[in-house]
Amino acid sequence: MSDLPGPVVRLEAIRKAYPGVVALDHVDLALRPGRVHVLAGENGAGKSTLIRVLAGLVGPDEGRIEIDGADALADRTLFGRIAYVPQELNLFGPMSVAENMFMPFAATGFGRLTLSRGGMRRAATALIERFGIHAGPDDRVDTISVPDQQLLQIARAAGRAAFDVLILDEPTSSLTASETAHLFRIVRELRAAGCAIVFVSHKMDEIFDLGDDVTVLRNGRSVGSYEMAAMTEHSLVQLMAGSAIALEERFQPRGAGDVAADPILSVRGLSGPGFHDISFELRRGEILGFAGLVGAGRSELMQSIFGYRPTRQGECLFEGRALPRGRPDRSVARGMVYLSEERKHHGIFPRLSLRENISLGILDQLARGGVIASAREGERVATVMRDFDVRSSSADKKIMFLSGGNQQKAIIGRAMARRPRLLIFDEPTKGIDIGTKFQIYRIMQRLAEEGVGIILVSSEMTELQRCASRIITMYEGRINGSFDQATTPADTLVGAIVGAGEKRHAA
Amino acid sequence: MPLETTVAAPRRGIALRGIAAHLLGNPLGGVTAALIIIFVAASLLSPYFLTGFNLMIIARSLAFVGLVTIGQSVLMILGELDLSVGAIGGLAGIAGGVLMVQLGLDPWLALLLCVMLGGLCGWINGTLVTRLRLHSLVLTIGMAGVYGGIILVVTKGVAITSIPGDIAFLGRGAIGGVPVPFVILLVCLAVVAFVMQRTPLGRYVYAIGSNADAARMLGIRVNAIRTGAFVTAGVLSAVAGMLMVARLGSAQPSIGETWVLAPIAAAVIGGVATTGGLGSPLGAVLGAVIIGIIENIIVLFGISPYWQSVVSGGIVVLAISFDAIARRAMAREN
Repeated sequence: MSDLPGPVVRLEAIRKAYPGVVALDHVDLALRPGRVHVLAGENGAGKSTLIRVLAGLVGPDEGRIEIDGADALADRTLFGRIAYVPQELNLFGPMSVAENMFMPFAATGFGRLTLSRGGMRRAATALIERFGIHAGPDDRVDTISVPDQQLLQIARAAGRAAFDVLILDEPTSSLTASETAHLFRIVRELRAAGCAIVFVSHKMDEIFDLGDDVTVLRNGRSVGSYEMAAMTEHSLVQLMAGSAIALEERFQPRGAGDVAADPILSVRGLSGPGFHDISFELRRGEILGFAGLVGAGRSELMQSIFGYRPTRQGECLFEGRALPRGRPDRSVARGMVYLSEERKHHGIFPRLSLRENISLGILDQLARGGVIASAREGERVATVMRDFDVRSSSADKKIMFLSGGNQQKAIIGRAMARRPRLLIFDEPTKGIDIGTKFQIYRIMQRLAEEGVGIILVSSEMTELQRCASRIITMYEGRINGSFDQATTPADTLVGAIVGAGEKRHAA
Repeated sequence: MPLETTVAAPRRGIALRGIAAHLLGNPLGGVTAALIIIFVAASLLSPYFLTGFNLMIIARSLAFVGLVTIGQSVLMILGELDLSVGAIGGLAGIAGGVLMVQLGLDPWLALLLCVMLGGLCGWINGTLVTRLRLHSLVLTIGMAGVYGGIILVVTKGVAITSIPGDIAFLGRGAIGGVPVPFVILLVCLAVVAFVMQRTPLGRYVYAIGSNADAARMLGIRVNAIRTGAFVTAGVLSAVAGMLMVARLGSAQPSIGETWVLAPIAAAVIGGVATTGGLGSPLGAVLGAVIIGIIENIIVLFGISPYWQSVVSGGIVVLAISFDAIARRAMAREN
């Protein structure tokens, strides 16, 4: 790398320990202007901590941070040169797009005592166009779509004042393919302008599409820094996992979908907010994939089948009997589980412990004479933590202090622990490292082979192709295709997802 | 020797920190420590404090706010609040007066009906909150006006006297030296605390308070549990109201007027978060005990009772400040 420009930021021998765990141990990182630097590693490898140290949010226990050759730990104003876009949305919902972009107003020059609304609106309009946000400057942020909020958050960090480094932590997790492409165009512009970009993603295609350099972290240590050009997907995964993973492995349940048997779920002419006239059948022992763009109505449909959202007409038969509408408790009582894509809003109970979070789904099974049997609870929770590789110094730790990946593994474990007969998984591997992903695929496969019916909603084509027996595609609230996974080429699926052509049946 | 001192000093530091961490780690640690300190201080400051007579006075007067505190703390853990609990207690008391004195009903039957009336008021609150998705704080301000208004309509502000002596034992009696209202408080607390700590239902209450949407997704019957908690709070308030009638021997329209803010303050002192999901009824009642002792000290010292709310308000501010500091320390640890 000798012909490259010198690094604008250099982290040396960073160490950061929390009680019971060393999050970072002698990690080095050098960021060069005009390069996209990927941070790769499994959940809990230390990526988030490293980012927080880099952004100046967390002080390291040991080590040195140089920004433009000066010691940033001595002069903390230097961290102002680093723009950070966190993974989770943190916007002011009831305020306008423009206000969100330029808060704090005094710092952005749009008002010390009074707001200059006109100037702010003009500046916001320019950023909205540049970042392709589908919203006006005066729209309330809580009324625009999640992908637009994500883009707004990026625009807020990247659009204002001069910065040398832009940190993007899983920026595409709720973006559609075209929105991702748009974001990547913006990132390339920034790179061409000489900005150093730190990029964290679990999606291999994105890493290889955008990355120039990569630093691999494993268990809080830096495995090494490499040029992307010298890496293959296989070698990168190997470095991250520290062991061999067969990327081409497939997880279709054997003997899937006995056509002669009664379906476990049949949906007939179901309509509701966000979807229209949906009919399909799920057979016992089958993994049925649902593909589509973000906003195609898949989550709305699944939540309505489950009873969480209202329906207007149509019916759902679960094991031959109608599911009452609007009663998720009845659906659960009859053996159905839905795992939402929105971990923060629909998944975790932040103030409860990890143990309580896991056992909540199976308390009825743990109670003896109406009283929770603590010993049994402890055993079951320990089993779930072991089976799903949930890492925490203690089961009594509040779940909000765990990493996102560990939270996700905990609630997947909770869903599986109920031993349901029908599982609906909505983006179950969002933000999860590849090793754990494969573990979840293996468990889904095993459950399906035991006769459980599984619906898998996913935006990752590779995930659907690895696991699903059949794939249904949805476009703008309607089913526009049904495909036998084994015989369908990927481009046919992608065509259906983006709504190209007429309704098709390749199965 | 110098070596020994350098080794010994940090060890003592670690021991102290261990105790502190244990107190911080146990959710009831803070309120228990505060209670012990206040109890010891009161005993040292006044020779009258630690007498059987005085402790009985504290226990008896504590029981009423304590009962309301149990119900309010469950609602707060659930993420709700009921500002009409005082009015429900008062309404139950007045209804008792009307049934027993003006209609001549059997006192025990009247008692039962009044407690059921409290449950009905709670059910109305809960149903309006869940069905119309109203904010419980705003709704119960309105309902407090409604229930309180009915009291005035029925009594025109005049107490209903000559309550039958049959039930006087409930308010004035003692079992083995312990005032009956306090015994009833302990029984109710034991039942509610057991449900909250050891049964799935109690765990669901914490879950709903922590994340109601996630609870519904998990198949927990969120609305039924919410309504049930309002009914529980209404029943407990009505019990407190009836005990007060039994103690006074008359149904005063002012019963329950002071039962709104004190239980919330007690719950907060006892570690119940105003945002839901944290704390316990036991902690809340310990908070009520702290307030009760402080009110008692004010009386013992002959301080003007007008100072009472200044002091108990100050205690609340102190308690939540300590709590916030402890929580920040815990977050750093994690």
